[in-house]
Amino acid sequence: MTGLHLVRLDDFLARRWEDVVDLTLQHLAAVAVSLALATAIGVLIGLLVWDRPVPRAVSLTAAGIAITIPSLALLALLSPVLGLGWAPTIVALVFYSLLPIVRNTVVGLREVPSHLVESAQGMGMTPARVLLSVQLPLAWPVIVTGIRVAAQLTIGIAAIAAYVAGPGLGVYIFRGLSSLGSVNALNFALTGTLCVVLLALLVDGLFVLIARHSTPRGLRV
Amino acid sequence: MTVHTGPQRTRLLRHVATPLAVTVVLVALFAWVGTLRLDSIESRTLNAGYLLDRTREHLVLTVTSSALVALLAIPTAIAAYRVRSRVVKAVVIALGNIGQATPAVGVVILLAIVWRTGFTTALVSLVAYCFLPVLRNTLTGLEQVDAATREAALGMGMTPRQVLWRVELPLASPVILAGLRTALVFSVGVATIATFINAGGLGDMIINGLKLQRFSVLLVGAVLVAAIAVLIDWAAGLVEDWTRPRGL
Repeated sequence: MTGLHLVRLDDFLARRWEDVVDLTLQHLAAVAVSLALATAIGVLIGLLVWDRPVPRAVSLTAAGIAITIPSLALLALLSPVLGLGWAPTIVALVFYSLLPIVRNTVVGLREVPSHLVESAQGMGMTPARVLLSVQLPLAWPVIVTGIRVAAQLTIGIAAIAAYVAGPGLGVYIFRGLSSLGSVNALNFALTGTLCVVLLALLVDGLFVLIARHSTPRGLRV
Repeated sequence: MTVHTGPQRTRLLRHVATPLAVTVVLVALFAWVGTLRLDSIESRTLNAGYLLDRTREHLVLTVTSSALVALLAIPTAIAAYRVRSRVVKAVVIALGNIGQATPAVGVVILLAIVWRTGFTTALVSLVAYCFLPVLRNTLTGLEQVDAATREAALGMGMTPRQVLWRVELPLASPVILAGLRTALVFSVGVATIATFINAGGLGDMIINGLKLQRFSVLLVGAVLVAAIAVLIDWAAGLVEDWTRPRGL
């Protein structure tokens, strides 16, 4: 039984590999765009709140509550407003990425030793200069870890977005469900799921490299 | 002391603000629904009986799967820990990483295709999905116990079993509970997807609302699911705080 399915999966992939590559690239594009937007917004929020106790507590609490909301519920709520397709997908992915990125930006900035900030100020650096040349570079490894966590989260959630006609490999997973009982149902769902797993593992590996190469030389272990 | 004010303030804010915010949202939602004139499709779903049935299904799926995960994953992790083999630990962590990379919707739908649709399939896929993260968290928690503390307990004449129950498990409990809390919240989300394979729950309302273009049905379903997720996370957070060993 299993052998039969595997042979068929070979056949299936041989006939549809262009389609699979296309969906994988769509999936990656949706995740990359969302992460870029979420990083810009999240780091900005982190910069605004990290040294103010009340805004910090409020934004971290709000983000912590927001991330518990089931993704299908959020996607469904967005669809009457944003329609179907890319728009609700990107908004939902940005929404779920914010918690890890804001939290890690706050943690990263708070971990910068205060004597380093003071000596930078003592050297006559402007606050903007201190931020760009001292605080952000030192906090960067922690921020990258936050983006990496967000990437793992969004790659999985993007699969559900296919239900609101979103892009990516979820299309194959849901096609497997809708063709339940036909010969290719398992091939569709299996191809979609395995490609998501591979993509998630590859992106995670990519982040290890990004973290290594974007970390200031003095901080590398 | 100043170091601790941040997390404490956040925690206090969450404990008080969360149930208040959820109550306000739910009251506003039902007040709004009360003002609507419902057509036949809407009145079939927007009534107390239907809402309670779907909510019950959702909670049963979530709580049963999380309880099963706790019963299966924690003893397995303890066994893996006591073997004290690097290979076992590496395998658990590698499997955990792959599990984390797997999309929940894929697991649910694949199982429905190779097995059958319905509640049992949803339950099995939820347990399978949450098993690895809890296993990994429990193992990590046990590994984190300070070797000196463990040796001191052995030096006091405790048997390995006593060390496990009185020292290692209590010290690891915050990490273990954090893993279970994540599993619970995750189950609420995956139980929503269970509607795709005819396993009921509040996902039914979301899907019906979308398909039949009834925004009120969709909104009530989505807000109820979100409220359950937020409240379960809140309750788990309270339990975490109460059960944290005093020295920690």
